[in-house]
Order: sequence, then structure tokens, then C-alpha cells
Amino acid sequence: MSETWTLGLKLLIITAVAGFILGFTNYLTEQPIIEQRIQADMEARLAVLPSAEEFEEMQIEDIADEKAEIIELYTGTDAANKIVGYTFKVLTKGFGGDMEVIVGISSDGQVDGIRIGNHSETPGLGANASDEKFTEQFVGKSVDGPIEVRKTGSLNENEVQALTGATITSECVSDAVNLAIDYYNETLIGRGMDN
Amino acid sequence: MKLREVFTNGIFKENPVFKLVIGMCPTIAVTTAAINGIGMGLATTFVLICSNLVISLLKDFIPEKIRIPSYIVIIATFVTMVGMIMEAYLPELYDNLGIFIPLIVVNCIILARAETFASKNPPIPSMVDGLGIGLGFTLSLTILGSIREILGSGTWFNMQVMSDSYEPALIMILPAGAFITLGILTGLINRFTTKVD
Amino acid sequence: MNQLIVSSSPHINSDETIAKIMRDVVIALIPAGVAGVYFFGARALLIIVVSVVSAILTEWAMQKLYKKPVTVDDWSAVITGILVAYNMPPTVPLWLPVIGSVIAIAIIKQAFGGLGQNFMNPALGARAILLACWPVHMTTWVAPGPDAVSTATPLEILKSGNIQNGLPTLWEAFIGNIGGCIGETSALALIIGAVYLLYRGVINWRIPISYLGTVALFTWIFGKNGFFTGNGIYNLFVGGLILGAFYMATDYATSPVTPKGQLIMGFGCGIITSIIRIYGGYPGGVTYAILIMNIVTPLIDRYTMPSIYGEVEENV
Repeated sequence: MSETWTLGLKLLIITAVAGFILGFTNYLTEQPIIEQRIQADMEARLAVLPSAEEFEEMQIEDIADEKAEIIELYTGTDAANKIVGYTFKVLTKGFGGDMEVIVGISSDGQVDGIRIGNHSETPGLGANASDEKFTEQFVGKSVDGPIEVRKTGSLNENEVQALTGATITSECVSDAVNLAIDYYNETLIGRGMDN
Repeated sequence: MKLREVFTNGIFKENPVFKLVIGMCPTIAVTTAAINGIGMGLATTFVLICSNLVISLLKDFIPEKIRIPSYIVIIATFVTMVGMIMEAYLPELYDNLGIFIPLIVVNCIILARAETFASKNPPIPSMVDGLGIGLGFTLSLTILGSIREILGSGTWFNMQVMSDSYEPALIMILPAGAFITLGILTGLINRFTTKVD
Repeated sequence: MNQLIVSSSPHINSDETIAKIMRDVVIALIPAGVAGVYFFGARALLIIVVSVVSAILTEWAMQKLYKKPVTVDDWSAVITGILVAYNMPPTVPLWLPVIGSVIAIAIIKQAFGGLGQNFMNPALGARAILLACWPVHMTTWVAPGPDAVSTATPLEILKSGNIQNGLPTLWEAFIGNIGGCIGETSALALIIGAVYLLYRGVINWRIPISYLGTVALFTWIFGKNGFFTGNGIYNLFVGGLILGAFYMATDYATSPVTPKGQLIMGFGCGIITSIIRIYGGYPGGVTYAILIMNIVTPLIDRYTMPSIYGEVEENV
């Protein structure tokens, strides 16, 4: 019995000291970590909606779609507190698993920019979706119609060139952007004008 | 053993990757680029030195019967600290290595050194052992990462080293490339370091 | 030294040599090469030559390095070189067949002990690695003819489900007037060679026929528009199926030796090919099907080995 007590007590001491040290480290690093995350999110939103100065999170209504899901929505306002557009974080199923696409749509009805967040696409193929060469194609696309992906040939107004060897990934990105466009058209359109 | 021997032992004679072949999880997973190899290696080295030191200091305090849970608690504490500090102050490295950091806890190199070396030796040699094994691990991961990055991306530490006409062999930065590189390297190293009777 | 050597039975003395068998395979592969050059032009020939030469040089270099007798005159490196080239689109840059042959011979064949010791088909293993390394080069197809217009292979068209849009006819697929790899394009030429191999007794019917039958059956049953709507016959003549079934799945070192085992091999290849073609992410699955079955070949052999005459079953 006494040996069990000694063992238990010693283990208790070790874990207690470990817990105390971890608590202290957490106390030191908590603030910088939160700031890092806020800054990273902020940078991502600014990249897709450069005209905005500040962002405010919005409630998302009715997010149903088979292919993708909106998980975050922000309103972007400029210095004069006028709504200049919206940023969406859309979760979609890529070729290799979940994929985050951040989409910015400005109040004048066009895609302002997109960015690929966390993903697990194949390096060298699907992962090239993060390249500017691909994401730039979405800039300036109108929200009047869905964006289509094209493998070969010349592109129409609402079409983007698929990534070589990664058509599935390309389509997933455009699905995500189209979901944001739909949501904009159904729920958000015209709101900016009220201000 | 002299301290110098303890130190070089971990780098050459008992190199964890090419000689002991332990800690294969991070070896395969993170070595897609040289910088990831160094980052993972140094993080492991830090944990290894700290845990070896603490375990060596506590070797008379920790009873035989509960030594494994005690070691794990100590190792996990240091790993969690590394993770937090890295996320707070080196966010870019954390983005690449973040999901592998918790895996250091179950990296058998650390428990193996605690069990075979630190629990039987004084603090200073234990730290030197941790440093040697850790640097051996770092060196191996960096070599693997360099080969895979140069062939698979055409870059080395993110600098373009291959000419523009070089077309990277994608398999090198996929898991299959890690197995192929590791197999060929281990074969070559043992071919030139093992004396055949 | 006149020593009398008594080895254990069997004592059949055959004049079959490795070189003879291998030369027959090379002869059988010629029609397909001619068809490939006819449809895709001189560049196809150049790729075949580059691939064969690199395969022979690699074999020679590796055997020198390992200090083994050099056996490049047994034609086996030639076959590997030809098959590496046959499994490539005609548009690949010329360094690709070189790397392919080096991987096939140096890593997959010689590093594992040379002829007869490799655990998977060298040419297919090389193709799988090349496909993972340079997927764009390995999947850029052109239509037959001098203009090299880029096209989709019939399997890609089938996979996309858009079959009204330019799916070649069964006859075109049969003679080889379709986009695809150099050696797989003409089913007709491949079958001519296969008949020669069967006639010479180099291969037997078990693996190829059970393989082809399984694919035809399964792609027919599990069609895109419901059960029994698939075009099983069409599936036989597109992709690398004929090439794989007759020339690669039958490789001696990597296929079972027992008759029952050979049927299992063909059936297994057929199932995996069909699953990849119908449900997989890639349009074609012959490469991976054969490679997977190569790996389980030792197991198949172990479980289908007939019991030795006079052996008593245990636990009777």
C-alpha cells in the first residue's frame, strides 16, 4: 500500500510541475498567438478585398450547397464606413481533401480576388491553385453568371483556364467562388447602397 | 566514454535515421524541403536536450515502475512548449511544421535516449548525448530534405538552384519520393561505412 | 575436368534459352511499333530507339558496377526498353524515355538482383514513377496524323461521360487510329504479335484471356447509366489493356507459375483495372492493376502450389 502511495505521489508531483510550467508558457505565448492568427486572417481578407479598411464578421444565413460551404463571412468597409464588399471563407472538397478558398466580392458586383487557404492538394499539380497565375484569373469576373472552368481553347468572358493536370482542383475552386457569388446575389446584393 | 565520443556517436555511429532507423514518421513526412528538415531537426534536438537533462537529474527520484509515464509527461511538456513558442514567434515555420510538432512526443528517438542513456548517465553527458543525436537527426533530415527539394522543386532553401529548363520530378516531394530517397541513401551510406568481413 | 554431375530431376533437356524466348517477344512487339510509327510519325520511332539504347547501356553499366557477367545479349533489356517507350505518349521530350529506362533497369531490375529477381514489371514500375514525376508530359495526348493536334484518349472521353463529343468508333479503336501511348494504340497489331507468342508457346492463354474477359464483363455490368449498360467490348480495345494483358502481365518473373494462380492473376488484374476505369480518379488502370498483382504474385503461388505427390494432408 505504501509503495502505491509513493508512486502516485511522485507521479502527481511530476505532472503538477509539468502542468505549472505549461500554464506559465501558455500565459506568455497566448497573446502573441492570438495576434498572429488575427493578423494572418486580416492579411488574407485584405488580399482579396484591398479597398477595405476594416472588416466586421456577419451572420451567415442558409449555407446549403452540395459542393461547398461558407464558413466565414465578413463585411469590408472603407475609411468613410461605407461598405465596399464582402469576404467569404468557403470550405470545399478538393482532390486531396478539404480546401479553403477565400473569396472577395466588391459591392459593384465583381470578384475582387481569391486566395487558397489550407488545403491538401497534390504538390506540383493541384497545389498550383495557390499560384497567382491561377487565382488572378478570377479577378474582375462579374457576379452575373457562374464562372466556368475550361481545359483547352480560348476563354470566354466568364471562363478561367484549368490548371494543367488538375481539372478537379480547378473545378473545386470555381465551385467555391460560385457559391460565394450565389450567396452575394441572393442575400447581400444592394446592401451596400443603403449606406 | 569521453564527452567528444558521446557527441560524435549520435551523429555517425548511431545516427538515428541511417543507422538506428528510428523516428521514421517525421523523417518521411517533413522532408519535402531542406528548411523543413532543419526546423524539425532543431525542434527535436531542443526537446531531446531538455528531456535528457531533466530525466538525468530526476533519475533517482523517478521510481523504476512509473518511469515510462514520467518520461512521457516530461517529453510532452517540452514538446508542447516548443509548439507554443514556435506558433507565437516563428509563425511561418509553424505553418509548415505545426501538425508534426505534437508527433515529437511519440518520436521514439526521444524515449529511446531517455531509456538507454539519460536514465543511466549524469546530466552533462546526457545533454551532450541529446545534442549529438539531435544534430545527427537534423543532419539526416536536412540531407534528405535537400535532395528531395532540389530534385522535386528545383530549389534549395527556397533559392532557385536548377536552371529554368529543369522540370522537377514531382514524386520526390510526394511520400513515395521520401521512401525511394531514404532507401537509396541508407544503402549507399551502409555500403561505404560497413566493413564486410 | 571430367566430373559427372547428377542433379535432381527433372532431366528434360530443352533448347529453350532465355535469349530465344526474349527474341520471340521482341519479334511479337514489332507490329505494334510499326503501327505506332505509322500513326504518330518518326518521333515515335526516335523515342523507341532512345529508350532501347538507354536500357541496354544501363544494363551494361549496372552489371559492370555489380561486377556481374554482362548479359545484354539476352534481349531482356531490349524488351524493357521497348515497353518503356510503348507506354509513353509520342509527344514526350526525349530525356523522358532515358530516365524511364534507367529507372526500369537500374532500380527496379538490377538493384533487386537482375533478370528473374525483380518483384514487379520493370517497364510498368518505371511508367508509374514517371507518371508521378511528370504527369503533364505523361498525359498529353495527340491525335494520329502529321499535325499532332492535342486530343483526349477514348478512356478520358468515356470517363468524362461526354461520349457524343468525338468518341472514336470501335473500328478506329481496334486498328489504332486513336490518341494514346505509342505501343498501345493499335489493338490489331498487338493481337498479331500475341498470336505469334501463343503459337510459339512463349506465353499461355490463361492470364491474358482471364484478364480481358474480366474487364469486358465488369465494364459491361457496371456501366455509367446503370447495370448492363457499359460497352465491355469497346473497353477491351482502348487504353493499355491489350498491351498489358499479353506482354506485361505475362512476365515470367512477376506472374504466378501455377495454372490456377495464372487465372487468379488475370482475374485480379481485370477487377482492379475495371474498378479504376469505372470509379477511379485516373481514366486508365492497367499499370496499377498489373503492378498490384505483381506484388501479390508470391502469395498466389504459395496458395495455389499443388501438393507434392504422396503428401498427406494434415489434420485428416
